[in-house]
Amino acid sequence: MPTPIIRIQNLTKKFGNLYAVDHLNLDIYDGEILGLLGPNGAGKTTTLLMLTTVIKPTEGTAYIGPYDITHQTDKSRTLIGMAFQEPKLLWVSTPWAILDWHAKICGLPTNERKKRVKWALEELELWNDRHKTVHVFSGGMRKRVEIAKILIQRPKIAIVDEPTAQIDIVGKHKIWNMLRDLRDEGSTILLATNELYEADVLSDRVAIIHKGKLLVCDEPKKLKDTIPGGDVIEVVLKENITQEHLAELKNTKRVVNILTIKPNHLKIYLNQAEEILPQITEFFMKAQIPIATIQMNEPSLDDVFAHYTGLTIEEAQTK
Amino acid sequence: MKTILYVVERDFKYFFRYKWWIAGMISMNLADLLIMAVVYTGMVSQEITQQYVSYFVFFAPGLTITALFAAAFMIGREINMEVRREISHYMLSLPIKRWELAIGRVLAGGFRGLVYMTPLLITTITITHVFTNVVPSPLQLLSIVAALLFISIGTSGLSISLAISTTSFEKYITARSVVYYVLFFCSTVFYPIDLIQSALPQTLALVAQYNPLSAGADLSRAFLLGYPPFSAFMFLDVVAFGLVFALVAMLAYMKVTQK
Ligand SMILES: Nc1ncnc2c1ncn2[C@@H]1O[C@H](COP(=O)(O)OP(=O)(O)OP(=O)(O)O)[C@@H](O)[C@H]1O
Ligand SMILES: [Mg+2]
Repeated sequence: MPTPIIRIQNLTKKFGNLYAVDHLNLDIYDGEILGLLGPNGAGKTTTLLMLTTVIKPTEGTAYIGPYDITHQTDKSRTLIGMAFQEPKLLWVSTPWAILDWHAKICGLPTNERKKRVKWALEELELWNDRHKTVHVFSGGMRKRVEIAKILIQRPKIAIVDEPTAQIDIVGKHKIWNMLRDLRDEGSTILLATNELYEADVLSDRVAIIHKGKLLVCDEPKKLKDTIPGGDVIEVVLKENITQEHLAELKNTKRVVNILTIKPNHLKIYLNQAEEILPQITEFFMKAQIPIATIQMNEPSLDDVFAHYTGLTIEEAQTK
Repeated sequence: MKTILYVVERDFKYFFRYKWWIAGMISMNLADLLIMAVVYTGMVSQEITQQYVSYFVFFAPGLTITALFAAAFMIGREINMEVRREISHYMLSLPIKRWELAIGRVLAGGFRGLVYMTPLLITTITITHVFTNVVPSPLQLLSIVAALLFISIGTSGLSISLAISTTSFEKYITARSVVYYVLFFCSTVFYPIDLIQSALPQTLALVAQYNPLSAGADLSRAFLLGYPPFSAFMFLDVVAFGLVFALVAMLAYMKVTQK
């Protein structure tokens, strides 16, 4: 049984009448990367801010190691480092000054501090710009400075809020590897993201949250295995499908479940898709509903999310 | 302890990023002093300033206080901006104790004021020496600097308390102006207490009498001009102002998290 290093108990935050985080219960194990996956507004950032003791819970609490975040705030923070979603940088400052000071205030001895700051700036391709004020930086560059804080600090618990948003794909892979190294050195990483791929490749376990509530938490592979049917066929039609046709399709052999994202956009969960794909296309031809696109996929975390909410993450973002 | 120093260091460095602004402000303050010298000395009745050689000599120590106040008050503006842009979230998430963070910021504001007013203080001492021949003893100089440091810390604390309790920048600026006018108008920074007592309603005159800015200005005058006579109350007044507002600012800063 792995030991939890963060225990979130009934954690709740209300803004006016809105439950941004709604009685959340979750254990995060020592040494794992836990991905907190959810659409915009799911309550990820609010949860993280409560764990870092920046905002106070309305109800419930969490333990950071042995410390209760509601009344041992100073002690809780000694184990934590956080990289924010919106980079928290003073625009008149430079990456060098920001990171050097961060390392100092986190108690790194001088030699180690200089070494790590240089290393992070070089790895994140900020070295040449280290003395420019961040106000001339692009969004991605500011994000790099923000994540560098944590990579230098190497806290026992690293909390990273959408660490690679706005960063190019090469940069993303670099940062993912650096976060994995951080975990391998013994840190626990709590990662909030709304990118399925990021949650999938990086997390040891994924907790899916929606409207402040925890839907499910497990290893990405296990979550995908819970999707009925081993494959997914996603069809977009040029016309809406009728209820009768839908019922008929559901009764087709090997079809386990159908999710109607829109009346003309279906996700069909089934076994051995390769074999019955021709049958499915034939079905729509007979029904005289032209197909716009059709594709066959393995189940993704999006399907897990859809399984629990009836919505894809993309749809949940726009609602 | 080290942590507090690092917090101070950060704010201090940011202050000097505005070095052109500072240079501009100091020159403006010095220009003010010169204008006072030329214009007001002739205008203000001799009767009022008879103990002080001239109005110009009377006002010089007061100017140090206005400069110090302006510089120490800047920290509030920055903290207000940090709270609005949620950069405060970063400061609050750091693995340091909240009270250390809070006291560090209050002190930083105080030291900024002190550093900023140093060239003005030197100018003032030169002027008063030329006109009165008074040479303050090292202990007297030290008392002046200490008193000014307390005023500066109090001002920094006051600005931080205002910055945190006002949500918008406009409200902060308004609050700042109100505080500025009450504190300076009802004080002996610009006019001697006799004049205030004869011209202002009694309550306002009372404010002027106990106003820590009056105490600071008069303490400087006591040692640089020889009048009004020094009293221990002057020192107690500025110390109390410094400590009280440092404490209020600390509590306010720590309360930001109660959202
Ligand atoms: N300070 C605040 N005042 C009022 N409402 C807030 C505040 N902060 C967050 N909310 C609301 O709480 C909900 C959760 O917000 P939160 O920022 O935690 O979402 P998120 O999961 O991080 O989303 P995103 O992916 O967009 O970052 C949202 O509906 C948001 O509007
Ligand atoms: Mg967020």
